[in-house]
Amino acid sequence: MAGRSDFLVKWLLGAILLLAYIFLYMPIAHILFASLSSHPNFPYPPEFNIDSYVRLYTNTVYQSAFANSLIIASCTAVLSTILGFLATVGILRFAGRRALIYAIFFASPLFVSEILLGISSMSLYYLVFGVAGNMLAAIIANSVHCFSFCFLIMASLLYKYDWRMNEAAIVCGASPVRSFFEVMLPLTWSGILSSLICAFVLSLNGLDISFYLLGATPTMPSVAWGALRYGVKPELYALSSIINITVFLAIILLYWRIRSDRKTEA
Amino acid sequence: MTGARYLQPRMYLHIPTLFLFLFFILPLIALVILSFWQTENYKIVRDWTILNYETLATVPAYITFFFRSLVMAIGVSLFLVVLSWPIAFFIVRYGGRFKLVLSLLLVIPFLSGEVLRLIALQGMLGPAGLVNGALVRLGGVPLRFIMYSDTASFIAFVYLYLPMVVTTIYLSLLNFDFRLASAASACGAGKFRIFIEVIWPLNLSGTLIGFLLSFIPTLSASLVPRFLGGPNGTLYGMSMAQQFGESGTWALGAAMGVVLFLFSAGALAILSLGVNLRRTGFTGMGRQ
Repeated sequence: MAGRSDFLVKWLLGAILLLAYIFLYMPIAHILFASLSSHPNFPYPPEFNIDSYVRLYTNTVYQSAFANSLIIASCTAVLSTILGFLATVGILRFAGRRALIYAIFFASPLFVSEILLGISSMSLYYLVFGVAGNMLAAIIANSVHCFSFCFLIMASLLYKYDWRMNEAAIVCGASPVRSFFEVMLPLTWSGILSSLICAFVLSLNGLDISFYLLGATPTMPSVAWGALRYGVKPELYALSSIINITVFLAIILLYWRIRSDRKTEA
Repeated sequence: MTGARYLQPRMYLHIPTLFLFLFFILPLIALVILSFWQTENYKIVRDWTILNYETLATVPAYITFFFRSLVMAIGVSLFLVVLSWPIAFFIVRYGGRFKLVLSLLLVIPFLSGEVLRLIALQGMLGPAGLVNGALVRLGGVPLRFIMYSDTASFIAFVYLYLPMVVTTIYLSLLNFDFRLASAASACGAGKFRIFIEVIWPLNLSGTLIGFLLSFIPTLSASLVPRFLGGPNGTLYGMSMAQQFGESGTWALGAAMGVVLFLFSAGALAILSLGVNLRRTGFTGMGRQ
């Protein structure tokens, strides 16, 4: 009797999980079809047509927006990963009893919404410099938001790291820099890569922070947002599909990376 | 060499701390200062006044927006917690070696960003979207309540923050020692009682963090109501964004930002009374 109710619970929970996946992925699959179809509104049965991709490719507004977003996302990814790495090492190794306080402080930007971060940074630059912001300001503000994610990702993947490895390398005569590059980096690469990818993607697609700090400079989300006001166009579906597929591939890469790490450990 | 060694440990913690102080704490202070000034004709007048807060406390529209946001945020977050528990529980208990895949599959949609996800959702819910398109083709009547309404906003919030809440509860359950449940079972407790007295309280912290991570962005959301909400669906965050955009009344917007921040911090403070971080998914810190 107990076995049967267990079985029932298991299938019920599984069904909820399946529904959640359908809920999350149906819109994404739908716009993928829509972007490839000549009838974007109701693309079933599908009729393949890559017009919307051609139009996206030839649209100069999207091109400059893409370039801006790429700069912001790359710089943010690097900056927030470096800071997150410092924070992780600091907390895991050197914080001692204050580790919890530091951890809460480093995670606190998660509890302030992106739009508030954008608006408050804009206020600061306005009060201090009299300008609303620029590219550098956007990168820094995005890094504040991504830093918490990077910190949590790296802390969760690094807390099992054996710090004696670094010391062993130094005892054997390696400089701290060399012990970092030749011992620590290869061993913690999956955490660092996860953090880079996560920060890159979050800042590439985040609207609120960049929107308030960049003014008229277009980024991809802000162009997409602007285009939305005049109704959704197939180009937007194409753009969105490309980004979704890229994210998907990045996560698959990450998954292989983490799995091969585990295999070498085992 | 010894000097460098003494300097190093401090730097690891001090650089991120300084960074957050300069670019996270200082901007919030600037927001507070701005909220006590005035804007006239798109220019900021540096006279101290509490007029902005008076406006927010007396103009009925702002009060309505605020309570609408508050109800929406509480409703969405409660719903998400109820929905996320079975999902996270299933992955942890029955996921086996597919745990990582199953949880990453939930994260992927989160990474494609709010705007693009809303575009995708609009493709489903809008007047020409998949749901209503299919209904019309099958000879039905389009569902009005999912077009530009509070229901549409609600669905959108659930869609946006589901990955975040599931992941938080998943991390909490992942670190939970299920032998405790077995022990309770061996001592004769029923399934329901094990859940209520062992599993739920020990994962309460993770659940509360998940609740907050959907509550806070929902409370200050500006895109969702603007895009999917109806004419009567204006939320506080959307109104705040308008102060900084079309209306040009920055100081009033800053005051709204301060209100949102205080309420988020208040929710954080109230709920953190129930949080013991060492029992959540964020354990392992400070241990070698």
